[in-house]
Amino acid sequence: MTAVAPRLDTPDAPVSVPISTRLRRKPWKVAVVAVIVTAGLFWSLAPIYWMVTTSLKNPLEVTRLNPTLYPHALTGQNYGELFGQTLPFSSFLENSVVTSLVAAVIAVAISAFAGYSLSRGQWRLRGFTGQIILATRILPLVVLVGPLYLIFLKTHLLNTYYGLILGYTSFALPFGAWMMKGFIDAVPREIEEAARVDGYGRIGILFRVVLPLTLPGLFTTGAFVFMDAWNNLLYPLTLIDSLKMQTLPPGLLTSFTGQFKTDWGGMMAAACLTTIPLMAAFFAIQRYMVRGLTAGALAGQ
Amino acid sequence: MKPRRSPWFDWMVLPTIVILAFVIGYPIVRTFVLSTQNYKVLSGLPATGVGFSNYQQLYHDPVFWQSLRNTAVYTFGSVVVAVIIGLALALLTEHMAGPWRYIRTVLLTPWAVPLIVVAFLFRYMFDQDSGVVNALLRDLGLIHSNVHWLTSSTWAMPTVMLANIWTAVPFFFLVFTASLTSVPTDVVEAARVDRAGTWSMIGRIKLPYLLGPAMIAVLIMVINNFNDFAKIWAMTQGGPAYSTTTLVVYVYQLAFSSFNMGYASAIGVVWLLLLMIFAVFYVRLLQRASR
Amino acid sequence: MLHPGSLNESKPTRGRTRRSISVLTVAGVLALLAAACGSSSPKSSNSGQGTTPSAQHPVTITFANWADAETATRPGIEATISQFEATHPGIKVVSQPISFTDIGHTLILRQQSGNPPDVAELSGNDTFAVAATGALAPLDSYLKSGVYNAKALSEGTYKGQVVALPWNSNPPGLWYNKTLMTQAGLDPNSPPATITQLMTDLATIKAKEPGVLPLGIDTTNRSFALAVDWPWMKTFGATPFSGSNATANTPQMQAFLGFMQTLAQKGYITANHKIGYYRPLAAQNKVAFVWDQPVLQGVVQSTNHETDAQFFANWGVTTLPTGPAGQASTVDEGHQLVIFNHSAQKKADWEFINWLASDPSAVTGYTIKYESSLPTLANPSPQIQSQINTPILQAFTNKILPTVIQLPYGPNFSSAYTPIMAGVQSAVTSSTSPASIAANIQSGLQNAFK
Repeated sequence: MTAVAPRLDTPDAPVSVPISTRLRRKPWKVAVVAVIVTAGLFWSLAPIYWMVTTSLKNPLEVTRLNPTLYPHALTGQNYGELFGQTLPFSSFLENSVVTSLVAAVIAVAISAFAGYSLSRGQWRLRGFTGQIILATRILPLVVLVGPLYLIFLKTHLLNTYYGLILGYTSFALPFGAWMMKGFIDAVPREIEEAARVDGYGRIGILFRVVLPLTLPGLFTTGAFVFMDAWNNLLYPLTLIDSLKMQTLPPGLLTSFTGQFKTDWGGMMAAACLTTIPLMAAFFAIQRYMVRGLTAGALAGQ
Repeated sequence: MKPRRSPWFDWMVLPTIVILAFVIGYPIVRTFVLSTQNYKVLSGLPATGVGFSNYQQLYHDPVFWQSLRNTAVYTFGSVVVAVIIGLALALLTEHMAGPWRYIRTVLLTPWAVPLIVVAFLFRYMFDQDSGVVNALLRDLGLIHSNVHWLTSSTWAMPTVMLANIWTAVPFFFLVFTASLTSVPTDVVEAARVDRAGTWSMIGRIKLPYLLGPAMIAVLIMVINNFNDFAKIWAMTQGGPAYSTTTLVVYVYQLAFSSFNMGYASAIGVVWLLLLMIFAVFYVRLLQRASR
Repeated sequence: MLHPGSLNESKPTRGRTRRSISVLTVAGVLALLAAACGSSSPKSSNSGQGTTPSAQHPVTITFANWADAETATRPGIEATISQFEATHPGIKVVSQPISFTDIGHTLILRQQSGNPPDVAELSGNDTFAVAATGALAPLDSYLKSGVYNAKALSEGTYKGQVVALPWNSNPPGLWYNKTLMTQAGLDPNSPPATITQLMTDLATIKAKEPGVLPLGIDTTNRSFALAVDWPWMKTFGATPFSGSNATANTPQMQAFLGFMQTLAQKGYITANHKIGYYRPLAAQNKVAFVWDQPVLQGVVQSTNHETDAQFFANWGVTTLPTGPAGQASTVDEGHQLVIFNHSAQKKADWEFINWLASDPSAVTGYTIKYESSLPTLANPSPQIQSQINTPILQAFTNKILPTVIQLPYGPNFSSAYTPIMAGVQSAVTSSTSPASIAANIQSGLQNAFK
């Protein structure tokens, strides 16, 4: 119940404001805060409102020169067409979920190893290697994708889940390794020493002591990798050439913006269906993310 | 007591290096090589070495300089505005508790919308004829004729940036909210006892705690924005004229419509160097700040 | 396997075990890579190689196209392919949908890496860009004379050989909305024949119908837009480049740019919109004139559900208004079918594309029904004739098709469209003088041809 409850993890927030200061607040200050926060809410929600209502309008209403603020003729036809015969929307969804999730799990595991090595290792060139790893993220995908296509072709990775997952993982590793390094840096070495005294081996220390302590960090890194993969347009666009294997971003792009017209209603319906589960998942783990960010990636530097 | 040297966990970075070498290292090397060649795929001729003439051409190419300027405006403009909005919202909602805490959740929702959808959503909302933004502004009497948001050289860049800012604010909001919880309560209490005002409380007590995280978050976002392709491509394709052509769009056009691979690679290399210089400079700054 | 959770259960280990586990980790990743390299995914539908025909196994043709990527044409092309497979039991067609915008560069990329499809749908400059890489098989030896009309075939000719079979004809024409013209007090039966008349009519529409966009024209930055805008340049006598000579800095080009600037400044057109943007507007009678292809009818009717009779009462189509240079022209952005040199079974490929473009059931059941475009046959059968016997398609066949001109497609066109269309966009979105825009286009073209 509380685990799913969408809230940011600030359990001490209400206590930290003594009653005296609350009373001291002037009404105009409260009003200013209220106005700005309301504006912030409008800013965040208005586009989402527009996305949802557009998905419920028919094609004619969607392209009206004077747009209607809410659907005058409510219709579910945009949603119906998503699951009709014409569009493999459910396979887009499946491909996106599978590849992004697997990439997130693999990338988190590999990043955690790399982060541990970068954080605790004593080898030479450690700092340099870390910087090189980070630098690989700087080169634009657009430049990389041509040669990458060639490698994937030679290794038969084109048009496969493996290829996409490898692409996503590699794209996420530079930041992932650095984030995990930050999280592991934040784990006091004394704890490891204590564990050693208790008879744990290195593996035991890593898996039983260090990684459990960085659990929020693992979640945070995982969420970042997942979002990166989920939003990636260029890799699937280039490395996948069958519609059945395609993921959501290029699937949406090719299906709704064709040579004939742009189907706003259909695209927004697809957008709603892809956004909602993501929001739910996102809210479920955001407590970990806040804790993770606080503990390691940001504060630990 | 120093931990015993155990070489195996030094190797744990190997999988990362192997994968990066395979998927990114090779393409990078190839890009460097291509940048010194004249390789136009459509000419049907094999690549020939031309030394640094691609870089010379670059120097005299007005579109390159314009796209460099656009990239800077797009990247830093979006990041600065998003940081300010994210910071303001984080500070204002810091003490919200009870049912009010859900406001923080709501403020994060834009992050869950896929980027490609954001691009199309904003393109649709800012359409000059059937877009809701012009309709609202008209109804409020703020404008008399439709503003050409995405189809005028003046407004196209701000509009694309607005979409970008919308997706970036939740990220900074999350980072700042998280870092605010790391401000020690006793420090805040001490300041309160000293009757510190709102502004000095924010400026002297809280901001120093936010600086480090903010700088890392900014670095991440700068790199992301520099490489941002989907949003601009889906909204304006770099137009009108070259007003929203950033480096990534220019490279894409050169590589995938003219198939001028040598020239496109040269831009890729310059781009890599620029970002590396920025990153090195930035990391220095970061280390000084954290000292 | 790599998930930390599953390794969690391993007991604390020491010495040799530790080392071997770390080796295993690396080996595991390498094995994962190797496994991925060795076998392609079971879901993979395309390998591109090894498609050698044999007696027992049917021949498989990979068909890259955008018809299957769009919701409007997808059901049509799938049904048509199934019909082909039913009538040709030895041949199986695997469709590879790629979007219209991406198909050209995707196929070039795949050709460069030795992984092209067998057969593809292409159009406009894409055909010639792909042909320039030497990817396309000449079709002359398969073609029987008298099946396809000569002009359509000549549009698929590269270096003296036919490399692209015309699937349909799709030239833009000037659509005019008779209802709006009547409402504005214009004669719906005399659409503008000259640029001067067009300007007068646009002014009338703008004055009388404030909620209506007077003219829809594609000013996006893509090769398709340069192709469909080319006739407008030509009507002013402008030719932005020929061969690898940039000829954009001319009084004629300045006149064209000035014309576009006037259109925009008077609010007659909107900038940076695709042709498809105006189609939903056309369905609501919110645009008076549109420079668009025959497919406009299909999109309008699928949006507002008008009957044919209603549509014909509402819309007519004619040739481009003539300007200072005197002649109307248009350009056939028809879809073409190509066979890749790489393909191991060109006979079957040919059978497939020839069937798509010429079999009466494919022509009526797909080309006309789903693409609402014109067949490319020299002598269409009576069945097809009856289908294209509509006022719109007749106007396209008899008035517009004869004005089709050939564009200088090829690698230079690929490099040229960005600077030229950027100039056009600059004319319609800023007050920069046409002279300086033309000079910018000129230098941009020179840089691009270097």
